[in-house]
Amino acid sequence: MKFLKPYFILWLMVVTACSTDNDIDKDLDKPTITVNYDGGFPQGCEQLQRGNTYIIKAKVTDNLALASYSIDIHNNFDHHTHDDQGKICDLEPIKTPVNPLIFKENFKIEGNLKEQEIEIELNLPESIDTGDYHCALSVTDQTGWNTRTSIDIKIVE
Amino acid sequence: MFLFWGIYITAFAQHIPHQIKGKVLNASSLNPIEGVTVMGNGLFAVTSASGEFYINNVKTDHCVLTISHVGFEIKQIHVTNDENDEDEEAIKILLNPSRTSLKEVQLYAKKQFHQPIEMPMISKQVDKEFMEQNRENSLMQTLSKIPGVTTINIGSGQSKPVIRGLGFNRVVVVQNGVKHEAQQWGADHGLEIDQYAVESIKLIKGPAAIMYGSDAIAGVVDIQQPSIPLKNTFKGEVNVLGESNNDLLGISTGITARTNQWFYRTRLTYRDFADYKVPTNKISYENYLFNLHDNNLRNTAGKEADASFSLGYKNNNFITETTFSNVNAKNGFFANAHGLEVRNSDIDYDSSNRDIDFPYHKVNHFKITNNTKIALGDHQLVIDVGFQNNIREEHSEPVPHGYMPKPENSKERRFHKNTYSLNIKDDIHINDQHHLVAGINLEQQQNTIGGWGFLIPTYQRFTAGAFVYHQLKINQKLDIMSGIRYDFGLINTKEHFDWYRTPVENNDGTTSQVYLQRARNKSLDFSNFSGSVGVNYQHHNTTYKVNIGKSFRMPLANELASDGINYHMYRYERGNINLQPESSYQADVEFNYAGNKVHVNVSPFVNYFDNYIYLNPTSNYDNSENLQTYEFTQAKVFRYGGEVSVATTLFKKLELQASGEYVYSRQTSGAKKGFTLPFSPPLSGLFTATYLFKDLSFITSPKLVVDYKITASQEEIVPPEEITEGFQVMNISWFANLYLLNKTQSVKAKFKINNVFNTKYFNHTSFYRLIDVPEPGRNFSISLTIPF
Repeated sequence: MKFLKPYFILWLMVVTACSTDNDIDKDLDKPTITVNYDGGFPQGCEQLQRGNTYIIKAKVTDNLALASYSIDIHNNFDHHTHDDQGKICDLEPIKTPVNPLIFKENFKIEGNLKEQEIEIELNLPESIDTGDYHCALSVTDQTGWNTRTSIDIKIVE
Repeated sequence: MFLFWGIYITAFAQHIPHQIKGKVLNASSLNPIEGVTVMGNGLFAVTSASGEFYINNVKTDHCVLTISHVGFEIKQIHVTNDENDEDEEAIKILLNPSRTSLKEVQLYAKKQFHQPIEMPMISKQVDKEFMEQNRENSLMQTLSKIPGVTTINIGSGQSKPVIRGLGFNRVVVVQNGVKHEAQQWGADHGLEIDQYAVESIKLIKGPAAIMYGSDAIAGVVDIQQPSIPLKNTFKGEVNVLGESNNDLLGISTGITARTNQWFYRTRLTYRDFADYKVPTNKISYENYLFNLHDNNLRNTAGKEADASFSLGYKNNNFITETTFSNVNAKNGFFANAHGLEVRNSDIDYDSSNRDIDFPYHKVNHFKITNNTKIALGDHQLVIDVGFQNNIREEHSEPVPHGYMPKPENSKERRFHKNTYSLNIKDDIHINDQHHLVAGINLEQQQNTIGGWGFLIPTYQRFTAGAFVYHQLKINQKLDIMSGIRYDFGLINTKEHFDWYRTPVENNDGTTSQVYLQRARNKSLDFSNFSGSVGVNYQHHNTTYKVNIGKSFRMPLANELASDGINYHMYRYERGNINLQPESSYQADVEFNYAGNKVHVNVSPFVNYFDNYIYLNPTSNYDNSENLQTYEFTQAKVFRYGGEVSVATTLFKKLELQASGEYVYSRQTSGAKKGFTLPFSPPLSGLFTATYLFKDLSFITSPKLVVDYKITASQEEIVPPEEITEGFQVMNISWFANLYLLNKTQSVKAKFKINNVFNTKYFNHTSFYRLIDVPEPGRNFSISLTIPF
C-alpha cells in the first residue's frame, strides 16, 4: 500500500496537468488596420500640400468588436524612424524643426462594430514646417489588443 | 546536549549536500598517509600526499566511513553531519599499523550553534558544485535548470527570477540575510549579483512570507553566506571563462583565509562581452524587417566589474562577518527596437560588435552587510544589518517625442535608491518537543529620480514586520510547524511634473500650455497578516511535506503612482492609488523518495490570489500622447501546477534524470477574465544523461553531460503577447579535474556547447520575445578553475 502512494501523487499530477480547459472562449485575435486599398489615404511616400485639408482613410476590422483608434502625425526631420509600407521614400536632409505639425487625436468606435472605414479630417496650416513626416495609425479592440501601422509622408508647399 | 542536536539534525535536516573533510595519520608516527581509501554509503575518496581527503556532495547526515590502507588496520568511523557549522576541523583519523584490533570510533560534531528550524517549504539547496556545473551567463540562468524556475532574460548578461510563473517583485532575493534590492525598476533590469561570489543558494518555491517578508509571495532565492574557512588556512582560486557566441571573456579570482578566529574573503570579477549571435540574419517584427550584420544582435554587448571583501571573527559562541561588495555593469540594448519602439539611428552600430551605444543602461550596486550570530544557552540570536545603494541610469539618443522637444542629453532616466535593513531573530530551543523562533524585520528605502523621462516617482518606503514560528516535534518522524507574521508598510510618493509644456484644452474651448503632472504627493499605508501551517513526515528514505499558507504583498510605488509614457514599451502606464495589497493562498505538497537507485520528487501546488496586481492593456488611448493606455488593475487568479523529477543511476556510471514543470494560471475576474497571466512559462521537460568515464593519467573524474530540453508551445497568452512555438534544444558539457600543477590540487575544467544544433527558437518569457528576437545561437565555452 505504502509503495503506491508516490504513484498516486504522480497520477494526480498528470491528471490535473492534462485536464481540459473548459473556459469561456478567449479573444486571441488582434484587430487589423490598413490603408492598402482603393481610397485608403495616405499611401506610402504621399505628398500633402500645406494649406489644404485632407481626409485620412483607413479600414479597420476585428473578429469581435472594435473599440478605439488613434492618429499621430509627427515630423521625421531627424530620420528617427521609418514606416512599414515596404516603400522607401526619398528623405530630405536632416534639419531642426521650427514649427512642426503635431497632430494627435483619438476616437471611440461605438456600437460593437466588426468593420469600419475610419475617416479623420486633417487641416494643414500654412505656417507649419514642410518636410518628412510620419503618420502612425492604431486601433484597439474591446479585449485590449492593439494594432499599429505607419506611413511615411511628405508635407510640401 | 550536543549529542541531542546530532540526532535532531538527522531527523529534521533537509539533507543539504555537505562536505566531509579529514586527515589520515599513522597512529604511531603521526605522519600523513597517502593513498588511503575512504569509502562508505556510496561515498569514496583517496587521501592526498598530505593525508587529506574531501568528500563532496554528501547528502546523508549520518554515515559510516571505512578507512583502509595496505599495512594498516581497517577502521570504521561514524560521521554525523554538522550542518550549518562548516567550521568543524577536519576529522583526524589515526590508522594503526596491522595486527591491532578493529575499533569503532564515534565522532560527533561539537557545536554551540544549533540548526535553525525551518518551515516545511518546498525548497532546493544549490551548492557550489551545482553552480560550477551549470554556470551560465547570469545567476538566474544558472538556476533555471531547477524544475519550477524560469527566467526573464534580457539579452545575454541579465535575467530576472521567475518561480512557478511568478516574477518581478513576487520573488524575494536575499543575500547574506538581507533582502537584495534591485531589478524592480523595469522589465529590462536584471539582478545585480556577482555569481562567482555565490557558494550556496536555498531556493524556495511557494510563499515564504513568514521568514522572508511580505514580498516573498512566489518564492525566495536565498543566497547564503559562504562557509567559514578552516582554521589556519589560505585558499585561492582563479576562474577563467571564454565564450564564442558573444566573444565573452570573464575572469574572477577569490581568496579566503583564516587564522585562528579571524577570517577574511575577497573576490574580484570582470566580464566583457560583445553582441550575441542569433541563428537568423533578419528579424521581422510586426511589419518591420531588421537585417542583422553577421547574425549579431546589434548593441547587446556589455561589461561587468565586481569586487567584494569581508572580514569576520568566530569563536565558540559568537560569529560576526562584515561584507562590502560592489557590482558595476553596463549593458547595451538591441538598437532597432528597445521594448516595442522601432528606432532609426545614424549610429554605425555594426562598426564594432564590442561597443556599447544607445540605448544602454549603467548600474552600480554597493552593499554593506553585517551578519552576527550569538549563542546564549538555548537561545541563538541572529542579527543582520544592511545598507544598499543602487544607481541605475538609462541612456538613449535624445529625440523629440510628441510635445517633448529634443532633450539636451542622453540621460533618459536615473534612479538612485538607498535601502537600510535590520533583521533580528531569536531562535529558542525550549525543550525536546518545542522550538520557537521570533523576530523582526525593518527596512527603510528612498528612491530619487532624474533624467528627462518619467516612469516611477520619487518615493520613500518604510516596512516593518514581526513574526513568530513554532515547531512541534511529535516524534522522530513527524513534526508540525506553524507561523504567523504581521507587516506594516508606509509609502510616500512625491509629485512630479513634465519639464516641457503640453497643450491642454480648457472647458471654455481655449487651449493652455501646461506642465502635466505625472505623480502626486501621496502617503499610503498598508498592513496585513500572513500565516502558515506545515507538516513534515520523514520515514526512511521518504519525506512528505504539506504546507498551507496565506501571504501578501504591498503594492509598489509604480503600481500605485505611475502616470506616464513608457516609450520603450510604446504605451501609457497609469498607476492606481486604490490598489489593495495582493493576498495569496497556497497549498504545497512535496513527496521525495531518495532510494539507493532511484530518486523521485513530486511537488504539486494550488494557489489562489484574491487581487493579483497586473498591468492591463485597455482599449483606450491616452489624450496627451495617443498611446494605448495600460492600467494597473487587480483580478482574482487561480493557479496550479508543479514539478516532477526522477533520477536513476545505471551501472554506477550512467546517471539519468528527467524533470518536468507546468503552471496553469487563469484570471477569474476583471477585464481579462479567462486569460492567463503575463509571462506564463510553457510546459517543459528536461532530460539529462551524465556518463562518468575512467580516469586517464592526470585527468580524473571526467564526465560527459547531455541536456535535452523539450518545451511545448505556449498558447496561453494575454494581450499584448504572442503565441510562442515549442522547441527542443540540446546542450553538451564535459567536465574533468586535471592534476596539472601538482598531485594535491586539481584544475577544474569545463567545456560546454549550448544550443548544439544552432536551433532558432523563441523563449516565451524572454524580454526580447516581444519583438520576435530568437534566443542565442550555438555557443562554445571553456571554463577553468585554478586553485592556488
